[in-house]
Amino acid sequence: MIADGTAHTALRAPQAAARPIRARLALTVAGFGVLTIAACLLAPLVGSTPISLRRALDTAIPFASNVDAQILFIARLPRVLAGALVGAALASAGVVFQALLRNPLATPFTLGVSAGASLGAMLVIILGGTIAVGPWSPVPAASLAGAGLAAAIVYALANGPRRVMSTTVLLLAGVTLNAFFSALIVFVQYLADFAEVARAARWLMGDLDVGGFDPIVAALPLVVAAGLIFARLPAALNLMGVDPDSASARGVDVASTQRWAFFSASLATSAAVALAGPIGFIGIVVPHLVRLLVGVDHRIVLPASALFGATFLVLCDLLARTLMAPVEIPVGVVTAIIGGPFFLWLLVREG
Amino acid sequence: MPTASSTYLVAHEVSYAYPRRRGRDAVVPAVSGVSLAVARGSFTGLLGPNGCGKTTLLKLMAGVLRPAAGAITLEGRALADMPRRTAARHVAVVPQDTHPAFDYTALEIVLMGRHPHLRPTQLEGPADLAIAHQSLEATGTLQLAQRPFTSLSGGERQRVVIASALAQQPDVLLLDEPTASLDLGYQLEVASLLRRLSREHDVTMVMATHDLNLAASMCDALAMLRDGRLLGYGPTEEALTSATVRQLYDVEADVQFHQASGHLTVTPVRRAG
Amino acid sequence: MAARTRRLIAVLLVAALAAVACRGAEPPGPARAQRIVSLVPAVTEMLFAVGAGPQVVGVSSYDHFPPEVESLPKVGALIDPDTERILSLRPDLVVVYGSQSDVEVRFKKAGIPTFNYRHGATDAILGTLDTITALGAATGHEAQAREVVVRITTGLDTVRQRVAGLDRPRTLLVIGRQPGTLQSVYAAGGSGFMNEVLEVAGGQNVFEDVKRESIQPSSETLLRRAPDVLLELRATEPAGNYPGGDLEVWNALASVPAVRDRKVHSIVGEHVVVAGPRLAQGAEAIARVLHPAAFK
Repeated sequence: MIADGTAHTALRAPQAAARPIRARLALTVAGFGVLTIAACLLAPLVGSTPISLRRALDTAIPFASNVDAQILFIARLPRVLAGALVGAALASAGVVFQALLRNPLATPFTLGVSAGASLGAMLVIILGGTIAVGPWSPVPAASLAGAGLAAAIVYALANGPRRVMSTTVLLLAGVTLNAFFSALIVFVQYLADFAEVARAARWLMGDLDVGGFDPIVAALPLVVAAGLIFARLPAALNLMGVDPDSASARGVDVASTQRWAFFSASLATSAAVALAGPIGFIGIVVPHLVRLLVGVDHRIVLPASALFGATFLVLCDLLARTLMAPVEIPVGVVTAIIGGPFFLWLLVREG
Repeated sequence: MPTASSTYLVAHEVSYAYPRRRGRDAVVPAVSGVSLAVARGSFTGLLGPNGCGKTTLLKLMAGVLRPAAGAITLEGRALADMPRRTAARHVAVVPQDTHPAFDYTALEIVLMGRHPHLRPTQLEGPADLAIAHQSLEATGTLQLAQRPFTSLSGGERQRVVIASALAQQPDVLLLDEPTASLDLGYQLEVASLLRRLSREHDVTMVMATHDLNLAASMCDALAMLRDGRLLGYGPTEEALTSATVRQLYDVEADVQFHQASGHLTVTPVRRAG
Repeated sequence: MAARTRRLIAVLLVAALAAVACRGAEPPGPARAQRIVSLVPAVTEMLFAVGAGPQVVGVSSYDHFPPEVESLPKVGALIDPDTERILSLRPDLVVVYGSQSDVEVRFKKAGIPTFNYRHGATDAILGTLDTITALGAATGHEAQAREVVVRITTGLDTVRQRVAGLDRPRTLLVIGRQPGTLQSVYAAGGSGFMNEVLEVAGGQNVFEDVKRESIQPSSETLLRRAPDVLLELRATEPAGNYPGGDLEVWNALASVPAVRDRKVHSIVGEHVVVAGPRLAQGAEAIARVLHPAAFK
């Protein structure tokens, strides 16, 4: 049937990537899922001080006097869960922002959501606010508010008369807001007293030692809500990633997808930063690593990144609290030390 | 030859104007009062200078834009009344060029053509994969399936994009300057592919182009647009004359039947007064 | 030598001498500083304690004690000293932090002597007493300075005697924390004046072995160190209404003996956090909490 001269050679056996997507998706989720579960089960057992698992689980010893149990369940387990939640949120938000901005170098912090969150936290730390909002204690509550404000401003700026958001305008608005809020953060720190400056600087480094399960429970509904929205985006993101006009012609509501993508990714980022401070590099390192392993189909990249992001952050936190024990390295420093060179290598590879 | 009984994709007095930014002058319509009846299985060319409205008309025919006045119908059903997904099962678009933001493989891009046929969260199955392979085969690009799209040559890319449109199993294929960004060799490659597809696969084609010779070589019928209005529509031999070229482009041209290539050729001579 | 050459050498010589003179010149220190600007709150306290209060013309933005400082001009502090403002007060002595070397240089160029305050990590209490003595000398209040030093030393000795021989409880000194949570806990480490004051007050720092002035322990470390007594030290009451001073956040670490035995306390006041003239009062306040029986 092929009449224009192309030789009808024997079909090359389809490589692994040609396997049907259902199989690939199942395999990927299973594979990364196992890693995540393993990390979450093993990480609480390792730390700066050795604990005995047997003793910790010994129900004969009253919990209030069982130091090993206390360390395991009060000090370590919340950290690991927070790490998994934040890692999953930031990694998947990274994937969605990269798709939204049609740029693999975008991060969850590119559009200023994190700067807004940081400014909110700074103001409360330094001005000493005490208003708790429901299950959120003052600093995370203010952080959430700041993030929401930043996202709202960017959204308002990027929504022009046409229904479809311009990625250029989005990017410009986000970067400008980032710079503006960052300047405000520096200014607020300048006005602060020593103790607060130290605490503020510490918050900006990220901290998974959230002090219990309550903050995690508070952040969970937001991340889950974002995740539910994420689940409906990947096919549309694929089509938009090739050509937005063709996507539109094939039945994708581009404007609506953009709005949902922006909202859900901002929500996940806000919750993550409000919970544990701005932990960088997860939103860019994890999606890229995942793409190297599984290809660029968002239907696979998104769930895989969420799972791998959780694993990655849990392991980084493990390193952070054991490498120089008893001194703890802020987890943001560990992700930067791993992520920075990786990022450079990526750039060199592309160029 | 388009006749009333074989009309298929019809534009009824459609008009459209792009929304202007606040504070600008009154809108200038991009397409105004265009009526066009495309016969089933035909290969129609939309001709005209830049800004004449051919891309807009194409987008209206794809259902991407809603006409401000008039309607586009497919086999009598109004496109605007159909959900976009349904419309996409009948009408596919091939854009001028494609620059994916991510490193999709050729196969992945072709599989995206199946999107209108799948439910919102449904994944492609073996049947879809088979259709994708057939589409790649039809455009002679099956061996490129696992290659990243961005590593392909211009001609290969366009052929893959055409395969992607074919995977939609459309009744109508709309092409926006499909060879404009290609080198001469690739132009011929894609042109011959489109001709073959039109003949062998019973796909109605509408192609917007500014290349008169390309249109002459491929199209059965030509529609000529200028400033958003339809100047004329008819079979190629009748529609393409020096008079129409002058009307359309303000250019004196020599239109001749060229023995070696088997179709009309247009040779511009000078600008008209 | 030709006359021209001799003249040239003379000019060069003078120029060289002038350069050396300008660079190396130390501004002559006043025998008694009469117009003092202090950027360090602890030193401001000391100045007033030795009777040099009337000689102080400007204080830092964080100065609140003694009450007289409220009416004095504020000139910034560690990060943001307002050099212009300071200069406009025509000081003859400026008290700066040891780390403010750039500020020091500026005043040197203006010919104003500076008093360099260094926060000691070892022998901090002795260092504080030395500072008081030095300030007495610089301001012409040597006798009063001696009295203050004696007063502090006696006060500290009294506290030492009261708690001598008593069991020294393993104590966690919390010097900072995010209110309402257990995040960002700052604790006093095994060196510095807080640690020394704790020892005087009859307590044993649970982080004695960590030779730093302040540490940020994780919840895990706190659980492992298991202090018998937990003392939160604050300069001022935390803003907001936390009934009970928001100490109940510590209940999350139930296995810590201090929490279990309800020995979690908070002491509010600058005397416990400032290494200044009220050192002895600070030590006594801490000792009263650690050994209430010894002070009946």
